[in-house]
Amino acid sequence: MRNVLSPTLVVSLGFGLASVLAQAQAPPDWTGYYTLAPNRELAPAGFKQDAPGEQLNDLIIPHLQPWAKARMEATDGIADDTGQVCLPDGIFRYPSMAGRFVWLQEPGRIVMAFGNINTAGVRRIYLDRPHPKNPIPSWNGHSVGRWDGNTLIVDTVGFNDKSWLFGGMEPHTEEAHLMERARRVANGAFVELNITVEDRHALNSPYSYNRYYKKQPDGAEMPEDVCAEDPDTWKQFRNEALKKQQSRLRQLK
Amino acid sequence: MRLIVSILCALPMVAQPGGQAPDLRGVYQSIPDRMTLPGGLKNVGAPAAIELLPEAARQTRNVDLKSDPWKICQPVGPFRMMAKEHTKIELVQVSAMIVMLFEDLSHGMMRNIYLKRGHPARLEETWLGDSVGRWEGDTLVVDTVGFNDKTWLNEEGAQHSDALHLTERIHPVLRGQFLEYRMTAVDPRVLAKPYSYTRYYRRLDTEVMDDVCQDEP
Repeated sequence: MRNVLSPTLVVSLGFGLASVLAQAQAPPDWTGYYTLAPNRELAPAGFKQDAPGEQLNDLIIPHLQPWAKARMEATDGIADDTGQVCLPDGIFRYPSMAGRFVWLQEPGRIVMAFGNINTAGVRRIYLDRPHPKNPIPSWNGHSVGRWDGNTLIVDTVGFNDKSWLFGGMEPHTEEAHLMERARRVANGAFVELNITVEDRHALNSPYSYNRYYKKQPDGAEMPEDVCAEDPDTWKQFRNEALKKQQSRLRQLK
Repeated sequence: MRLIVSILCALPMVAQPGGQAPDLRGVYQSIPDRMTLPGGLKNVGAPAAIELLPEAARQTRNVDLKSDPWKICQPVGPFRMMAKEHTKIELVQVSAMIVMLFEDLSHGMMRNIYLKRGHPARLEETWLGDSVGRWEGDTLVVDTVGFNDKTWLNEEGAQHSDALHLTERIHPVLRGQFLEYRMTAVDPRVLAKPYSYTRYYRRLDTEVMDDVCQDEP
């Protein structure tokens, strides 16, 4: 005997399938305020921040090409560290340094606005489109992304070479390439960001690490943070930096 | 009874004659003061034209113009920032807030305009103040209080007090290609009377880039 599906059943199945497909296609909305998750909160869920704090330098340095290592060793904490004088720190330092951000999700785009807005800035991730052919080199580069199920895959190129990979002042070139995979873990309690950096002119091999962020409760607001809050302090830094840069130039002559 | 219910149901429509709130998302840039748009629309007023109370005017004459927040890469506050020619803003709209991002981040920073709450009872003073927004038809009305006293009202050095209160009315004009932006400042300790200016912001089809403030050494 042939099975005959009733029209009602067919319609129901049709709607059910459409609903499942719609759910599969609708990207998750992560809009909210996030802060770096402390290891003590991650541990019970079986996660941990790789190379937390300054330890990230130890993870990066073995990957540096000899010229990059020599360049790093020749830097001066005050003269060269951009964030000290309220210039941008660049995108590579944000996962650890700018420990908080607002994630704003719009159709076709995700905007990340960092707490240290003067030094980490704003990042715009354009979804489902390629990079422009020749992006203008910038501190935060040009980011495109796509959802692969519940994982957001982000690709960033188009950097200037003025920022450092991290606080040890490890250099990168305009060829640097940042690859990130973001997903929610521990029943959505944390966003896991898997970060990989490659730069064929500065690194012998790519390096990778994980960072975890915790979504703050709905209604939590990111406080204002002004880098040049105390102009006397940062002007002093800036003048010292200029003095050191000038004396270095004199030595080179 | 049915009539009363109908009238009550219709009331929200009366309150919002323009119907649904418009989608303001996008990048906009203030037009130059010399430009006239179709219909004779033009920028009107400027922060330099505020009228100060005598004591505030006396204080302004003693201000060292070298310490202008603009010249040392500090935030200049919405009242000055929104009036400048060629100010580029990006409006990002999510359910609970509209975020105004300035291309010139050092001077403009990021303004969060909260749509689902009033001002907190105890306000922490900040450079940009606490902004809440509501829709009146197709006009976004932004109310901002809670400023610190570090920003200036204009480049002539006019100071303001922590009683500064700003109201901004923003709505799309010319088929959404421009925003009409009206700013009103009230500060009973500094301003002789409330002051308003109008700016037009052109919608741009562009991405916002990094813009880094470097002060003069």
